[in-house]
Amino acid sequence: SRLAEGTPRRSIQLSNIVEKRVFKEDEIISTPKRGRTKKVPEDEDEDEDEDYTPKKSIQKTPTRSRRMSTTTKPSTTPSKAISTPSKGAVAPMTPSQKMKKIRAGELSPSMQQRTDRPMEDSSKSQLQLAREQLHVSVVPTSLPCREKEFENIYAFLEGKIQDQCGGCMYVSGVPGTGKTATVTGVIRTLQRLAKKHELPAFEFLEINGMRLTEPRQAYVQIYKQLTGKTVSWEHAHSLLEKRFTTPAPRRVTTVLLVDELDILCNRRQDVVYNLLDWPTKSAAKLVVVTIANTMDLPERLLMGKVTSRLGLTRLTFQPYTHKQLQEIVTARLGGSQAFKGEAVQLVARKVAAVSGDARRALDICRRSTEIADADSANVKCVTMLHVQQALAEMIASAKVQAIKNCSRLEQIFLQAVAAEVTRTGVEETTFMGVYTQVETIAAFMGAAVPAPGRALRLCAKLGAERLIISEHSRNDLFQKILLNVSADDIHYALRVGEVSS
Amino acid sequence: MLGGNEKEKARALAKVRRFLKARLLRDYTTLHGYKEERSNVRQLLQRTAEMGESNSLLLIGPRGAGKTTLINAVLTDLVDNRSFVENTLIVHLDGNLHTDDRVALKSITLQMRLENAADGKVFGSFAENLAFLLQCLKAGGRQSKSVVFILEEFDLFCAHHNQTLLYNLFDVSQSAQAPICVLGVTCRLDVIELLEKRVKSRFSHRQVFLFPSSGRLEDYLARVEELLSLPENKSLEAASDRLRRLSRIQSEALSLGRNHFDPADGEEIDPPFRKNWNTQLHKMLATQHAQRSLQMLYDFDISEAFLRNFLFRLVAQLRPETPHITADQLRTMANQYECDDKIELLCGLSVLELCLIIAIKHHSEINDRDPFNFEIIFARLSKFAKVSSTMQGMERSIVLKAFEHLRIGELIMPVSVSSSSSGKVQKEFEKHKLALTYGQIQQAVQRYQALPTEVAQWAQSSLI
Repeated sequence: SRLAEGTPRRSIQLSNIVEKRVFKEDEIISTPKRGRTKKVPEDEDEDEDEDYTPKKSIQKTPTRSRRMSTTTKPSTTPSKAISTPSKGAVAPMTPSQKMKKIRAGELSPSMQQRTDRPMEDSSKSQLQLAREQLHVSVVPTSLPCREKEFENIYAFLEGKIQDQCGGCMYVSGVPGTGKTATVTGVIRTLQRLAKKHELPAFEFLEINGMRLTEPRQAYVQIYKQLTGKTVSWEHAHSLLEKRFTTPAPRRVTTVLLVDELDILCNRRQDVVYNLLDWPTKSAAKLVVVTIANTMDLPERLLMGKVTSRLGLTRLTFQPYTHKQLQEIVTARLGGSQAFKGEAVQLVARKVAAVSGDARRALDICRRSTEIADADSANVKCVTMLHVQQALAEMIASAKVQAIKNCSRLEQIFLQAVAAEVTRTGVEETTFMGVYTQVETIAAFMGAAVPAPGRALRLCAKLGAERLIISEHSRNDLFQKILLNVSADDIHYALRVGEVSS
Repeated sequence: MLGGNEKEKARALAKVRRFLKARLLRDYTTLHGYKEERSNVRQLLQRTAEMGESNSLLLIGPRGAGKTTLINAVLTDLVDNRSFVENTLIVHLDGNLHTDDRVALKSITLQMRLENAADGKVFGSFAENLAFLLQCLKAGGRQSKSVVFILEEFDLFCAHHNQTLLYNLFDVSQSAQAPICVLGVTCRLDVIELLEKRVKSRFSHRQVFLFPSSGRLEDYLARVEELLSLPENKSLEAASDRLRRLSRIQSEALSLGRNHFDPADGEEIDPPFRKNWNTQLHKMLATQHAQRSLQMLYDFDISEAFLRNFLFRLVAQLRPETPHITADQLRTMANQYECDDKIELLCGLSVLELCLIIAIKHHSEINDRDPFNFEIIFARLSKFAKVSSTMQGMERSIVLKAFEHLRIGELIMPVSVSSSSSGKVQKEFEKHKLALTYGQIQQAVQRYQALPTEVAQWAQSSLI
């Protein structure tokens, strides 16, 4: 929801840093924007319609490129599969004009549409429905087992919005513990309240460190969510600075969610400093919620003045225990009988023992339904066996299998590396030592001894698979070789193979 | 009359040769084995296309195991599925080509035919491209087309800055946006360890391992026979039919159909000739000689890529004089793989250079592979040259030239790691190490043509 009410139009006009052309565009576009805020912002089609109506183009002073397109330039745009409904009325745009529209936020990005309708819900089997419900993207309206954290964040944000002041909060926890889902859930609830006028209206902005190419792009993204326009980061920075530092009547509270905070930290830390400094200004009314993985990030990575501004309002999301994971999965399944109770429990216990990652548990459950689906047409239910197979697929490592499936000489080479490690007692071996071991073992087993050149090829092949770690073959006999699997794995893989054959 | 018959036979043979070569080289879509893995990947892609499910998967296996062929085969299978062809965009990325996120992102924008791309050119900066792509994917939903991202050499994408591309692709696959399927292909078994923890959490941990089925030589022999035998006309037509349907895949980066092996391309091979060929082949493969040679290859490398390479060279030897593949040919070729190239290189050296190598060997044997420089070796060589009748009057500059020749042949390698420090040392005093085993030198001395007896004797013992 990009609301333009907070755009400090007056301050832009006062600006003397801004270039003239950009400044002009700002003024023009911000005018219709204000009217548009009354519309439902989610409705993309309506948004587009408005962009292309002739009425708008009258309002707008014809820029140079527009004039050019109507008079001289023929259309060079290749026909796109996606077309806006009213596109036919306007002359087709050249790519650079289109880019200009994209930068101005007037052209809504869209994906190509399917030719047929997706499958109806009614035609799906129980397992298919369960699989859909178990997908990580299906976020429930209320997250189970995160009620306390929800309360905590809700109280913080509601208080800040009610008081009309700014503040910061730091949320941490390992990946997959429901941080982002909880925070967005809180904000959705608050937005619903604001709509019912039980709470003062507020704006919500959201950036993610990993979605930016560099920390400074944060300014661009924030400004884009405010106005819809894409400008350079310097410009965006100065505009945001102006917006947050100059007092303005009827300024609404802004809630800014910063995901993956550690990526925004660079050596200078100017971006993080700015994001956390604005809430301290009385004019800003900015509430910043930051999310990251490590608990001690502020102390470890950030400078003192940044840590000080981040404050001590912190919240840690603990990894899910097996009981909680079980509850999450059963909540997703609803009343469906697709899963056996003990199957869910097995998944929950296995995942909780490793990482407590909800995504992992849901993915394993989903894989189990696929296995059950493929198993036979009659099976309507996921049993322990299916879950066990899924767990074996998704948690187990394949190193032993890889060793078993090596060729004979590769197996001899691996044995030779292990033997050389045992002989010298050091982890790191050189190719020359290994090659003498290869000669010995091959002679012992009655295999043909490969020439050093071919042994180097074996070494490179095993190195590509990462069964061993080797240097470049340029170093020839002197390259260093490390074993990347444990020697026990090699013995196990080769012994067990001998017995079975 | 007999001449006409010969000509006819030669033509038929040329046809067979061309057919076999083309099948060995350019058959990108036929996969042998891997039933389970194939159906697993196919079902995943099918669900992505039909139900709009978002998924991610890693295809892992050693080099030459048929990972790319598996994907190609699955796509060929899905060509018949109308809803797949019409509702899916395929985006193909390669870690070797798309060396950073910037290049990869441009390629994605082009292949998805987004609004900010036109005629192969992408507008806007890196940051804008990323933002626009994410907006597009976010705007999509169940009604939009599914996108299948194929990331070959997946491990190289992990080396990109912050793993931004991977994070965003996996993140889209785990949130309620346009349905996408991320299919990574790599040969590294431990590739998951390369992912950052938040990227790892978003990855669905489905891994399909492709290991060439080893264990039995019989399977290998059957595979050889299959690759060399001439198929029935009926199966040729079926394959050709399948190929024609490949053009339905609409993707700019994926050029499966282009220059693909087309069995119906050449003229047909007449049935009696085919039958004769196949029986001869079968007989040949049943012999002990042939099996022993193939066992040798199989012991070294079980991947099909290696086998195909070998068979291609074998097929290239088909001549009208030798119209069939014989066990002898097989053996000679296999022995070629066995032999050591460095010994060939040693046999091509002059006697003086070989003498230097022998002197180096003596020095290494006495001092347990200590590094040496020119002066040490020259002293050792002069000791020999003084008493030898053939090597007297050897000038120092000529020996130094020979020493340098050995060095650029990389038979001896400089010890120093940093090249800057070695520049200060005079070239006569620079430390070197020997890049040969003693066994190799021994063999070279034995195989060297017309080696003076004195040198051969000196090679046996360092005492003069």
